Amino acid sequence: MTKALKINKSTEQGILELLKFLLKKGKVKGIFTLKKINKDGSVAYSLITKPDELKYAVPFYPLMPVNAGKLLSRFSLKGSSSEPVAAVVRPCELRAFIELVKREQGSLENIFFISSTCGGVHPIDKSVDGTVEKNLSEYWDAVKKGEIPAELRPACRSCEEFIPYTADMTVDLIGNNIDKQCMIFLNTKNGEEIAKGMDGEFLEKEINKEKIDKLRGKREAEKKKLFDELEVKMNGMDGLIEIFGKCISCHGCMRVCPICYCKLCEFESSDSEYKPSNYESDLKKRGGLRVPPGTIYFQLGRLSHISISCVACGACDDVCPVDIPVAMIFKKVGESVQKMFDYIPGKDVEEDIPLVTFEKEEFAEVEE
Amino acid sequence: MSKPKDNLKSNGAVISAKTGTKESIINFLKKAMDKGVFDAVLVPMRVPAGDSFVYVLIKDKSLLKDVFPLPPVMSVQGAKAVSSVTRLGKGNMKIAAVMRPCETRATVELTKLGQTDLENITLISMDCPGVLPISDFLDDPNKGMKLFDDAAKKWDDKLMRPVCQICDKSSMVAGDIHIGTLGAKKDTFFIISNSQKGNDVLEKLAITLKENIDGWRAKVKNISEEKQKKRKKAHKDLKSEIGGLDNLLDTFSQCINCHNCMKVCPICYCRLCYFDSDKVKHPSEDYLQRAESKGSIRFLPDTLLFQTGRMMHMSYSCVSCGACEDACPVSIPVAQIFSMIADETQGLFDYVSGRDVEEPLPLIAYKEEELHEMEDAND
Amino acid sequence: MSKDEEFMPKILAFLCNWCSYAGADLAGTSRLKYPPSILPIRVMCSSRVDPLFIIKAYLGGADGVLVAGCHPGDCHYEKGNYYTRRRFVMLKEVVKGLGLEPERIRLSWISASEGNKYVEVTTEFTEKIKKLGKNSAKNKIFL
Repeated sequence: MTKALKINKSTEQGILELLKFLLKKGKVKGIFTLKKINKDGSVAYSLITKPDELKYAVPFYPLMPVNAGKLLSRFSLKGSSSEPVAAVVRPCELRAFIELVKREQGSLENIFFISSTCGGVHPIDKSVDGTVEKNLSEYWDAVKKGEIPAELRPACRSCEEFIPYTADMTVDLIGNNIDKQCMIFLNTKNGEEIAKGMDGEFLEKEINKEKIDKLRGKREAEKKKLFDELEVKMNGMDGLIEIFGKCISCHGCMRVCPICYCKLCEFESSDSEYKPSNYESDLKKRGGLRVPPGTIYFQLGRLSHISISCVACGACDDVCPVDIPVAMIFKKVGESVQKMFDYIPGKDVEEDIPLVTFEKEEFAEVEE
Repeated sequence: MSKPKDNLKSNGAVISAKTGTKESIINFLKKAMDKGVFDAVLVPMRVPAGDSFVYVLIKDKSLLKDVFPLPPVMSVQGAKAVSSVTRLGKGNMKIAAVMRPCETRATVELTKLGQTDLENITLISMDCPGVLPISDFLDDPNKGMKLFDDAAKKWDDKLMRPVCQICDKSSMVAGDIHIGTLGAKKDTFFIISNSQKGNDVLEKLAITLKENIDGWRAKVKNISEEKQKKRKKAHKDLKSEIGGLDNLLDTFSQCINCHNCMKVCPICYCRLCYFDSDKVKHPSEDYLQRAESKGSIRFLPDTLLFQTGRMMHMSYSCVSCGACEDACPVSIPVAQIFSMIADETQGLFDYVSGRDVEEPLPLIAYKEEELHEMEDAND
Repeated sequence: MSKDEEFMPKILAFLCNWCSYAGADLAGTSRLKYPPSILPIRVMCSSRVDPLFIIKAYLGGADGVLVAGCHPGDCHYEKGNYYTRRRFVMLKEVVKGLGLEPERIRLSWISASEGNKYVEVTTEFTEKIKKLGKNSAKNKIFL
């Protein structure tokens, strides 16, 4: 059994009250959460320090403008947070941050993590044209029923990791009566401590496993479908060129990727630059070469760099201006790489990234 | 590019194009390669899936049949392609680079910024009807091809990108050779030389520049003036829409800090952008302090600092090519905003980006007696 | 000319200085015959081989890439080849996952005394690549 806090208000109200409580009681100095930042309803992550400003906060708005793992890394890159803060993040964002912490790109210290059983988010362009806002009630209806809301991003539709591993608090959204109650699981000592004094009923409870498993089943089916579709397209070198041919080399996928933390990407460094002599020798082989070259090299190389830690958050899909299904490709390859090492990225900060450690007796089969 | 003598510019050649302009341009390139004038050409080609066009450096002449000198989209700015080939040296190949006027202009700017070596490059530009927004084209590439072809024939810009609709330099000759289609008689086009290098190339191909091209010139002037009016109006409207801090914040409120606009910008050549560098990363105290002073800050902060900062860095060289807008995942009209600012900053110095490789960048030149009106200005 | 003679693959071999390169050397000084398809590159340790080297070689048109190092437990730097092995597992999954040809990359442990094994590995790998045929990436334009 896990400790839980039940607030007899809608989940939306309940969570806002909790956040307000944390700020007002001085339990935290600031709160990272999604917020409506202007009158036309644009939603962006914000760092809120005044309780009043929380009236514009929309903690579980079905949109991921930026992977919050990246934000928290920026926040704690130069040393752990000087004051306690709380961050309302999705499970994949939390996992991404853990992976970044393993790479010494941030610190967990002084950050309380409030996460949720996650219903998924819409593609970012659906926020630009206003459909996210318009379909909010349909979205929450589906989440309530434990279904996959319409028009979610492929990465979310097929996500099985929608329960956070290391959050201090988990707000239960999926399959829950969110209009009437706000159920918050207090997973850690910190979570319990910080919720002390909050108006509501403290009890012991478990997340409804049946509903979770049911949704996981649906998402698994969705994943299989999407992977099968991809499999057909990923047909040797020709298949890859068909998929990535239209890439405009903006490297947006890399820039928004929470795992890609390098200040200067290998593929933008002088190591990847072609000299005139490189062009000349390549032209002898091929007769012609795409300029700038390296589209496939970039994708393959980035996979070799980050597939071990890819949390399949889908940020790369959102940013791609030419609609290449980057996220699903990375998710597919990432999962198979991670499976080899029995590794779930972001599950446990103590667990080493598989590529920086080893067992003496393993993988004998790989040697030929 | 050595500066052309004035008489070079006055005339052109009329080329017969019975098989169509595209085929004739390909023939021209092929002939030049046959004669050894060029060892390779840099020109757009359709990708195997058919859903885009990218620059390809071609040495094998048999590939020329598949090239697409004036594709319906601009997926990579041509100046970036030229820079990729020559940034680290001029190499041993004589290369013809075939591109749109905004791409040759950006190449000229990059040359001033030390990012290309044009010694072995012959820049060939052509009259440009604009390009489709890349997302529109991707919705249905085959339909996009047809729509573009029709629109290009009629010189109708209403389906083109907004920044193309207000482009008054769509026939600006900035490279060595220009191919003119405006005002040409049926089944012909003009070839115009703009430099000694261009002259030499045409001479080797036995193309003599003795025809009068006043017709082309008049038509270009016409279109340019018409577009200039449209541009002024569009910029005025845009300014009232996005001007002022609140409107600006609204305009950029959806920005997700991906910096795609910077990455695809042909002028932004820095390997590590200032706005991705350590300079913009602060300790948590700083962020908290800023948040406390306002009650709440957007995180990541400094979206406007990035946008205005980038303007400071590159607006003098901005060619209004529109690459940034195509690459923006949240449909911010970046290119329109940047073209508006570019017109103003360049106008201050009577500078036109990409007009002439000999013209110094405004911020690295000065006159002792100038801009007094800015001193103690009280506006 | 038989078909096999027509196609002699180009195989890039990253050999670790302490074991596999010495093994290759032994094969040579023992006058053992091994295929001319192998283009050796000496590295100080098999773990010096960044997976990007292999990707680059593959996209550049190498028909095969061999990485060879000391047997596990024998690494001159104690643990380099353990890392190599993990990276190799990762890379193979990436290549497999994208529908490319994992058969074109190979990891082998060859010690300084195993001139014979060097000959076996290179001969066998060459035969395998011959059967696979040319690497189609070699003449692709849109890479």
